[in-house]
Amino acid sequence: MMISKAESRGRADLYRLLSRLYEREADQALLDSLRGLSLPEDNDDLKQGAAALRDYLAAAGPDAVDELAVDYAAVFLAAGSAEGAAALPCESVYTSPRRIFMQEAWEQVCRLYAGKGLGRAEGRADLMEDHLALELAFQGWLVDNGTVREQKSFLESHLLNWLPAFAADVDKYGRTPFYKAVTRITLGFLALERGLLEGLESGELSMARSFSVRNDRLAPILARLKEQYRVFAPKRFPKRGLKGADLIRYGEIDALTDIVYKEKSHLSAKEVFYPVSQTLFRFNGEECTQEEPADGREIILLARPCDINAVRRLDTIFLRNGQPDLYYARMREKLHLFLLECKEGFDNCFCVSMGSNVALDYEAAVRIDDICALVEVKNEAFLPYFQDEVPIDFAPEFVSENRRAARVPEIRREQLAEITVLDYWKQFDDKCIGCGGCNTACPTCSCFDTVDVIYHETSRDGERRRVWSGCMLEDFTRTAGGALARKTPGANMRFKVLHKIFDFKLRFGEEHMCVGCGRCIDRCPKDIDYLDAINGLSDLLAGKEG
Amino acid sequence: MENIMLPSPHKILSIVKETQAEYTFRVAYEGETKHGQFFQLSIPKVGEAPISVSGKGEGYIEFTIRKIGRLTQGIFGLQPGDVLFMRGPYGNAFPVDQFKGKDLVVICGGTGMAPVKTLLNHFYDHPEEGKSVHLICGFKDLGCVLFTEEIEKFKGKFHVIPTLDNSSAPGFETGMVTAHIGKIPFNSFEDYNVVIVGPPVMMRFAALECVKHGVPEDKIWVSFERRMSCAVGKCGHCKINETYVCLEGPVFNYSRARELLD
Ligand SMILES: Cc1cc2nc3c(=O)[nH]c(=O)nc-3n(C[C@H](O)[C@H](O)[C@H](O)COP(=O)(O)OP(=O)(O)OC[C@H]3O[C@@H](n4cnc5c(N)ncnc54)[C@H](O)[C@@H]3O)c2cc1C
Ligand code: SF4
Ligand code: SF4
Ligand code: FES
Repeated sequence: MMISKAESRGRADLYRLLSRLYEREADQALLDSLRGLSLPEDNDDLKQGAAALRDYLAAAGPDAVDELAVDYAAVFLAAGSAEGAAALPCESVYTSPRRIFMQEAWEQVCRLYAGKGLGRAEGRADLMEDHLALELAFQGWLVDNGTVREQKSFLESHLLNWLPAFAADVDKYGRTPFYKAVTRITLGFLALERGLLEGLESGELSMARSFSVRNDRLAPILARLKEQYRVFAPKRFPKRGLKGADLIRYGEIDALTDIVYKEKSHLSAKEVFYPVSQTLFRFNGEECTQEEPADGREIILLARPCDINAVRRLDTIFLRNGQPDLYYARMREKLHLFLLECKEGFDNCFCVSMGSNVALDYEAAVRIDDICALVEVKNEAFLPYFQDEVPIDFAPEFVSENRRAARVPEIRREQLAEITVLDYWKQFDDKCIGCGGCNTACPTCSCFDTVDVIYHETSRDGERRRVWSGCMLEDFTRTAGGALARKTPGANMRFKVLHKIFDFKLRFGEEHMCVGCGRCIDRCPKDIDYLDAINGLSDLLAGKEG
Repeated sequence: MENIMLPSPHKILSIVKETQAEYTFRVAYEGETKHGQFFQLSIPKVGEAPISVSGKGEGYIEFTIRKIGRLTQGIFGLQPGDVLFMRGPYGNAFPVDQFKGKDLVVICGGTGMAPVKTLLNHFYDHPEEGKSVHLICGFKDLGCVLFTEEIEKFKGKFHVIPTLDNSSAPGFETGMVTAHIGKIPFNSFEDYNVVIVGPPVMMRFAALECVKHGVPEDKIWVSFERRMSCAVGKCGHCKINETYVCLEGPVFNYSRARELLD
């Protein structure tokens, strides 16, 4: 039997609803939504809990919200009890010998959440991580994003291990039937979930999306993919790099052996969908004609988590800063991101400290080694290519520690005047040669120039292109007549650093521009260390504050 | 999806030589533009640059261009009947609604008069919308004076102080625009706005001078000139801190402009 996507959605939704019920007092909207709710009735707890809830809601009067607020406070917050007798909804309380908060269970779930790149949820900062509301929310997240094994493991070791004891306490301290019913439903639902997950794990039920593929079997799969897609991955270009070394950059691959997966690529993945040089239109004397893409095929791009997170930053600039850009948008629409798992970080990586070590918006994920590849398929369109392979339980793992880390300063807008004039930036004046190599290597640098190209001197035919540019180039701000808005390499370095770790986020919210890939450091011919530049600024500002 | 990088051809209707290095190009154009906005003008083979609208009328707009580099030189080689490629209009505009019913002071230098000229003409044509208009326009010397006829015209309704940096000529004061700011009767105004447009140094000193004369910072408006490749928030050239001059500018209130730090 196959479990459909729709069923998973329903499961995740119910986890979220239960999470909400424990998170804080019920309000009228919540009660109204419960009235229309249809619950599974597969076991006695579910049946009886649902019946009790229905009865309560049917009889509930206008002051139900107030009554429940009192009940919530008494049952879960020990309001009005001198000895603190209540059903305190945190795992540590039920699993630690002395029944206190923030014990081993709490530490475990904190680590689990962090490993998935999850911070504290908005508006829930006052709850412990092992609060029932957060554990249920996490389990719901796992339904959407985790493997069966992860779901089962969390269910068994962090929910079912304490829920029965907790439910008994709710029965004891509850004053209305409401929370008793809710707890009953929770118990019933978790039991149902365990059965489902056991079925999925044993193969009685199936939802296979992950496969193990021997490398000799991958070759024909790649060939079939290439009939429909252009496939890009990091490739080796011998002796084309700095000082005669090999250059690893993105290119279209023909064979699996083309993929360089044990090293970090020197240039990022962005050149695949935002080319170094791109024709915008062609012109003759009378008109300009928009350039159409030569190859209409869609693109599969094997990218690291940092590069996938960087795509979102480029989207922000090209699609959301002002009107969307057609050339970018049409490449972006064709792009299918396949995650290339990082086994461990490389030199100069600091993605963990930038929060970009985990990327979830991929359509498939791949772990490659010398013998086989493990593949998780999220976009069902790609399932047919892998269906005949050996199903396994696989989801990519993410690096959770780098050798280096950024200490990103918390800058306030009003501090800019002071930061702008710091002598600190002058150290780059003599060192940086303004080559722009750092901009070229960066997955999030998006700036360009436009240039007109003519086919020969006397003809009226030609084209306008856009080509990558960068804020570290001396002429980047030069206006007609020769004036420069930013005049020194130090000023350019300040501009770049602040853009990457301050003003992009200030403008767009959400996230810093820099994803911590460290390529700008790897690339700099003058050994200018951008990470040291961030941390040095941080220290300087901390020193000034203190 | 609209292609925001693709220009379209527009016919040049006439060309007026203002000075040796500045010509006004009248170009066929149907459509609205706001005071202070600009277009990306281009000549295929040569390139593209932002140029403000300096005049407008039925079926046309005008650009007053200073010959300074490759593209502008190329434009100077065009004749009436040739086409100019354009995309736009771009940028924000002077907040005319906020200027209504109040006194207005305009201080401009050189080609900086181009982006404020449609604004001046608006209040010239609609005196009922404004109160008094004081205009200080500075030029390097007599050979650099732009819009001679219109300046004469403005004298009919506005208080005009034309000035030459360091030479004298009939009808002109002598000295930088900053030297004449003290002549504006700020104290007699109930509510007013000051618009300053010109080279960056001129704008900085004129603004400081105004503040010295008691003008509150948020009554001052300036228009920025930056390197621009795209004018649509993509190429990054015009960015200062978190601000894109092509999107949020080129017109800024001075209280914001002074927080933009290069
Ligand atoms: C909002 C706005 C409004 C403006 N309004 C007007 C106006 O009304 N009238 C007017 O005369 N001017 C105006 N300007 C200024 C005008 O845009 C410049 O004078 C114009 O760009 C000059 O173009 P050019 O090609 O002739 O000059 P150039 O100096 O040849 O080049 C133009 C720009 O491209 C850069 N550039 C050129 N070639 C290269 C290269 N090979 N490598 C790197 N950089 C290069 C230059 O640094 C310069 O910034 C305005 C500017 C802005 C931002
Ligand atoms: S600034 Fe450096 S570390 Fe950050 S994303 Fe760009 S190349 Fe990577
Ligand atoms: S920091 Fe290094 S890579 Fe970047 S422009 Fe300067 S010298 Fe080149
Ligand atoms: S001019 Fe390109 S971003 Fe403003």
